[in-house]
Amino acid sequence: MEAITQDDVFLILKLIEESKYDELHLEIGDLKLDVKKQGTRASVVDAQGVPEMSVETPPPTVSPEDSTHRHASDNVEAAADDSGLIPITASMLGTFYRAPKPGAPPFVDVGQDITDDDTVCIIEVMKLFNTVKAGVNGRVARICASDGEMVEYQQTLFLVEGAGDLDETKRKSA
Amino acid sequence: MGLSRVFVANRGEIALRIIRACHELGIETVLGVSDADRESRPAREADRALCIGPPQAMDSYLKVETIIAAALGSNADAIHPGYGFLAEQPELVDACAEHDLSFIGPKADHIRTMGDKLLAREMVGTLGIPVIPGSEMVATGNEAKEAAQKLGLPVLLKAAAGGGGKGIKTVNCADDLTDVFDEAAGEARAAFGDDRIFIERYIPNARHIEVQIMGDRQGTVVHFFERDCSLQRRYQKMLEEAPSPVMTEGLREEICDAAVRIARHIDYENAGTVEFVFDQRERRFYFLEMNTRIQVEHPITEMITGVDLVKEQISVAAGNPLAMAQGDITMSGHAVECRINAESPRRAFHPSPGRIDRWEAPAGEGIRVDSHCYTGYVVSPYYDSLLAKLVTRGTDRLDAITKMRHALEHFIISGIDTTIPFHQYILHNREYLEGDINTRWIEDTLLREYGQ
Repeated sequence: MEAITQDDVFLILKLIEESKYDELHLEIGDLKLDVKKQGTRASVVDAQGVPEMSVETPPPTVSPEDSTHRHASDNVEAAADDSGLIPITASMLGTFYRAPKPGAPPFVDVGQDITDDDTVCIIEVMKLFNTVKAGVNGRVARICASDGEMVEYQQTLFLVEGAGDLDETKRKSA
Repeated sequence: MGLSRVFVANRGEIALRIIRACHELGIETVLGVSDADRESRPAREADRALCIGPPQAMDSYLKVETIIAAALGSNADAIHPGYGFLAEQPELVDACAEHDLSFIGPKADHIRTMGDKLLAREMVGTLGIPVIPGSEMVATGNEAKEAAQKLGLPVLLKAAAGGGGKGIKTVNCADDLTDVFDEAAGEARAAFGDDRIFIERYIPNARHIEVQIMGDRQGTVVHFFERDCSLQRRYQKMLEEAPSPVMTEGLREEICDAAVRIARHIDYENAGTVEFVFDQRERRFYFLEMNTRIQVEHPITEMITGVDLVKEQISVAAGNPLAMAQGDITMSGHAVECRINAESPRRAFHPSPGRIDRWEAPAGEGIRVDSHCYTGYVVSPYYDSLLAKLVTRGTDRLDAITKMRHALEHFIISGIDTTIPFHQYILHNREYLEGDINTRWIEDTLLREYGQ
């Protein structure tokens, strides 16, 4: 199945920006794109990971005075600010480890070039260690979780810049 | 003794119910939510919500390791499983013990014993409490046929690992038995990973009557009287009431005593429900099964006894003795509960997920609504269809029913189909009002008249 690249998304955004339409709903394969001009929010959603339902979910009505409470959506919302950077998110809830074992050098560091197949961290769930692959090509711009911290499902772990298209062989296997 | 932070391993109305009970007890709550429930009402009311996985329950609400990791990572000291999902998974209880977390529910052994319907039958039989005439395990279609002919047809084929109405098949004709046996065993293997089947005599004019019990670590077991859950469709309860309109004082004492004896025999801890089949023709009851969790319909018991069962569960799990002795527990009035589901009664109760455009719940004296829904809420297709439990309490049965009719009429839910029209249909039926119903009544009589 053909994947939409980031460049494609930018192109689509530009087209809608110049058009007279306020909203665009696009589905190609298992990718889903919703663009709303007035809402200033655009999202690319992987249909397998997130149901159509959650796209239609109204924005959270959490008021500022609730900010002392931490909510499951906070981490996801935060990632939206870093436009142009591609997040690598946690595939499960668990403990985040940057290195294969205590004292060892971290898998990746800020400024390091990574390819989609590189291991970037480990998430431990009850003594089971799950390696997390980058899934993108680019350079690590920021590390968003600290070593040994519990991370939630889909919490942003790393932000990657200049994440380009996967090369042909990778795309086939993806 | 007390708990300071409870991890809630559930969703929907029961998650909210637990969160509120904890709040009233001064206990913090952490809620594990799937990706589909991040913006849910319980997620907003909990002190903290953690996303534990994707919308599919198999990868979120049903994952023991993830629940334990989330509870430990958020420094909770206890887990409340609610009902459904992991509520009756002994693996979760074992994992809690291993990691020094309190499980707000019974011991793993209680769940194992009662989860095995054959073992439970045998155990209850040794106490001299009647069980439905039936067989030991039957291993083949021919054994099933033999057993059925001895009992007399019709019979029910049940999965030993079943329960809650799952894994049951009715057989009217001996020639069908071998085929139905193979089907039942196959389905049981697929659903429960256990294909053991046993046979029970079918009791035609039966009521489903269950007794709420609670035990503490000090060995005290008390009951909170009975609930009548005879109004079912495909073994799923639709409308419950307490007390049962067919109980006499003598029968009530007998059935409640039987329930307490069963629980005491296994040193049962926390909330549980002992279910009985009441044969209306013979006016006898038989043990059916025991559910080792807080049940959906617990509010009707709360409405007639004034006891907060969820708070009591939390207190008992912390090691406290029960707050009340049997003599302190009294009941007054009558309570009725309607399970409002996102289903279309006119389309064979087909699920009806979607966005709720308008939600206005009734309120007033004697009206209780347990629900996580609101205007704009999207009912997810991933989970069960329960939207709300509407409960009314009146001075007597008719008063409670009258209140319920009024409350249903003023319950406004638009955007999705609900079971409200069907509940109204039940509550205006003469046979229901006269109490002349049984567990087959909705399917055999009412649905025909309703035009299904």
